[in-house]
Amino acid sequence: MQHAEENSLEVSQGAYVPIGSAEYNAVLTFLYEEAALLDQLRLNEWGERLATDLKYTAPLRHTRLGVDHAKSFVRSVQHFHDDYRSVLGRILRLSGKSAWAEDPPSRTRRLITNVLVRETGNSDELDVTSYVLMTRSRFSEHHVDIISFERRDILRKQDAGGFKLAKREAILDQSVLGTANLAVFL
Amino acid sequence: MLTKTSAVLSDGTKISDLIYPDTREVQMRVLSDPEIYELEMEKIFGKTWVMLGHESELPNSGDFIVRDMGSDSVIVARDKSGEVHVTLNVCPHRGMRVALTDCGNTQIHKCIYHGWAFRTNGDFVGSPVERECMHGKIREKSELGLKKARSVLYGGLIFATWNIDGPSFDEFLGDAKWYYDMLFLRSDKGMEVLGPPQRFIVNANWKTAGEQSAADGFHTLTLHRWLGEVGNYAKKGEEEGEGADLSPEMIGVEVSSPHGHALRCIDLARKIRRLTGLNPDELSVQEKLKALPPAGMTQDMIDQLANNLSEDQLKVLTSMPPQVGGMFPNILFGFVYIPQPDGSVVGSMTMHTYIPRGPHKLEFCNWIFAEKDAPEELREKMLKQTIQLFGTSGMVEQDDSDTWPHMTLSAKGAMGKNMTLKYQAMFETGAPEGWPGPGIVNEGFTKDDTQWHWWLYWNELMNAE
Repeated sequence: MQHAEENSLEVSQGAYVPIGSAEYNAVLTFLYEEAALLDQLRLNEWGERLATDLKYTAPLRHTRLGVDHAKSFVRSVQHFHDDYRSVLGRILRLSGKSAWAEDPPSRTRRLITNVLVRETGNSDELDVTSYVLMTRSRFSEHHVDIISFERRDILRKQDAGGFKLAKREAILDQSVLGTANLAVFL
Repeated sequence: MLTKTSAVLSDGTKISDLIYPDTREVQMRVLSDPEIYELEMEKIFGKTWVMLGHESELPNSGDFIVRDMGSDSVIVARDKSGEVHVTLNVCPHRGMRVALTDCGNTQIHKCIYHGWAFRTNGDFVGSPVERECMHGKIREKSELGLKKARSVLYGGLIFATWNIDGPSFDEFLGDAKWYYDMLFLRSDKGMEVLGPPQRFIVNANWKTAGEQSAADGFHTLTLHRWLGEVGNYAKKGEEEGEGADLSPEMIGVEVSSPHGHALRCIDLARKIRRLTGLNPDELSVQEKLKALPPAGMTQDMIDQLANNLSEDQLKVLTSMPPQVGGMFPNILFGFVYIPQPDGSVVGSMTMHTYIPRGPHKLEFCNWIFAEKDAPEELREKMLKQTIQLFGTSGMVEQDDSDTWPHMTLSAKGAMGKNMTLKYQAMFETGAPEGWPGPGIVNEGFTKDDTQWHWWLYWNELMNAE
C-alpha cells in the first residue's frame, strides 16, 4: 500500500549492512543466541545482554482502514512499556519460586527470520529489524499459542566484541492477542 | 427483543438448583455449560448495565470505537452535539457489520455491503440510488436505523444496556455508588484514559474472572505471593510481618451489595506510618491526604476532594479507601498504591472488563487511567507501573490469567462439573464502629461474603422473567 510505506514508523534510513557480511553474521549470531537463551529459560544470561539504558516496548495494534495504517500502531498504552530495571525485575520474579504464569514454564520456540541490518547515525549502533514467529506450548494443551511480531532493535557494539540490546520494539500483529499473557519476553 | 426463556436446562436441571444457599456453594457446571452461557447472554448481558469504555476515548465529534455488550458488537460514537451513542453494530438490511475497524472518525457509518448509511446516533440516512428506494416502502426510515442501546456516562465511563425500561444506572449501582464515587467522581476535572485498552484472549469462562473481581482478597496471599518474595513489597518494616507474609494486606473492610458489586477497602494506616513515621490515629484527614494522596492524585490536587466528596467519604478515603473490587457482572477496578524503590508511592488506576467469547473463552480488556490534571511526570510513571503489574504483561495478573483456564477445564469434567465452588469463609464481624458508608459491610481479614453475594445476584438474574 502506497501510503503505508511513508507512514511506517522509525524505520531508519541508514545504509544496509550486506547480508552475509561479517557484521551481518555477528548480528545474526546475537539474535540466534538470544533466542536460544530465552527458549532455554536462561533468563539471567539473557539479562546480561541488555544495555542499562534499554527501552523495551510492544505497541498495541488497532484494526484501521488502509488510509489510517500508521494509526494501527498504538504507542500510548502498550503491552510492554519497560526499561532495564523493570526487565530485570521481571527476570527476578520469573526466577523466584512463585511466578505461576510461567511455572511450570511454557515451551517456546522463537523463530527469527527476515533480518535486515542498517547503519545508524551512531557508528556504535546498528538498526536491526527481524520477524519473529514464536510458539508457546503450555501444559497438555495441544494447540500452541502463536505470537507473531516484528522486532525493531538497536544493537550496541561492545568493545570486547558482540552486542548489547539497547532498544527493542516488538510490533505484534494481533489487535487482540491470542495468548493469555505476556509472561514471556518478545 | 428479549425472549422469555425458562431457567431450566435441557436435562431438566433448574439453574437455581446449581446454587446451594444453605452451604454457600456453586456447582462448577456453571463455569462450562454452553446452555448456561447462552442464557447468560440474554439474562445477564442482555439486562444489566455493561461498561464499554471512557468518553476520553472519543474526544471529537464523529469519533467512534467498536466494543462489545456480551456477545454483540456495538458502535460507541460521539455526535455533533457531543452526546455519546451506543448502537448495535449490525446492519438492519442484511446483517453485515457496519463498523469494521477498532475505531475511527466519521459522521456517517456506511455499510460496505449495500451502502445503507447511518448517523452517529444510529438513525438511518438512506440507501444508494435514492430514486429506486432500495430500502423498500414497507418500513419507515425511522424503523431502519441501527438498534439503539440505552447509555449513560458515569465519571466519563460509558455504560449501556439493552434493558430500555429497566433500572436506572444509579439504581443498578445502589449502595455501592457511595464508594465508587470516591474513585470516579472525586476530582474536579475527572479522569481520562492514557490510551486505548489492551486486549487479549484467555481460554476461560468469563465468570472465573467475574467472581474473582467481586473482591477475592484471599487469593493474593498464595497466587500473588511473589509480591512478598521479590521486589519492593518484600521490603517492609519489622512490625508489618516478614518478607513473604502478605497477610496484613488482607485486613480491611469489605463492602458488597445485593447487585453483586463488591469493594475491598484496605487499611492505609501501615502505609501512612511507613511514609511519615507518624501515628495515623493522631493525624487529621487533611494531614493524611497530604502524607499519602489517593492513588493517582498529588498533594496539589487534594483540595479538590472536598468539592466532590462528603466528610464521611473523605474519612473512609483516608483510612480504608476502596482499592480493588468489581462491578457486576464483568468489571474489575484497581486504584492501588504501588511502593517504589525510593520509598515513595505511585498510584495505579485501572479497570478491566472480561468480555464473554463463548463458554470457555473471555477477552480481557484493560484500560489505564489518570486524572485529567495529573502532571505529565506522574502520568508516565502510572502508565509504566500499571503496564508492568496489570494487564497483558502485568506481573500480578499474569498469574490470574493462567489460573482461570484451569478452573474452566475442571468444570468440563464429568466429575468436576458436579464439584462445587465454596464460599464458606464468612464474616462474623459487621461494620466497624462508626463506619459511615452504606451497603453490606464487614471488617477484618478478607472473607468470601462479597463473592457469594455476586453469585446470589447472578442467580437472581438468571431466574428472573
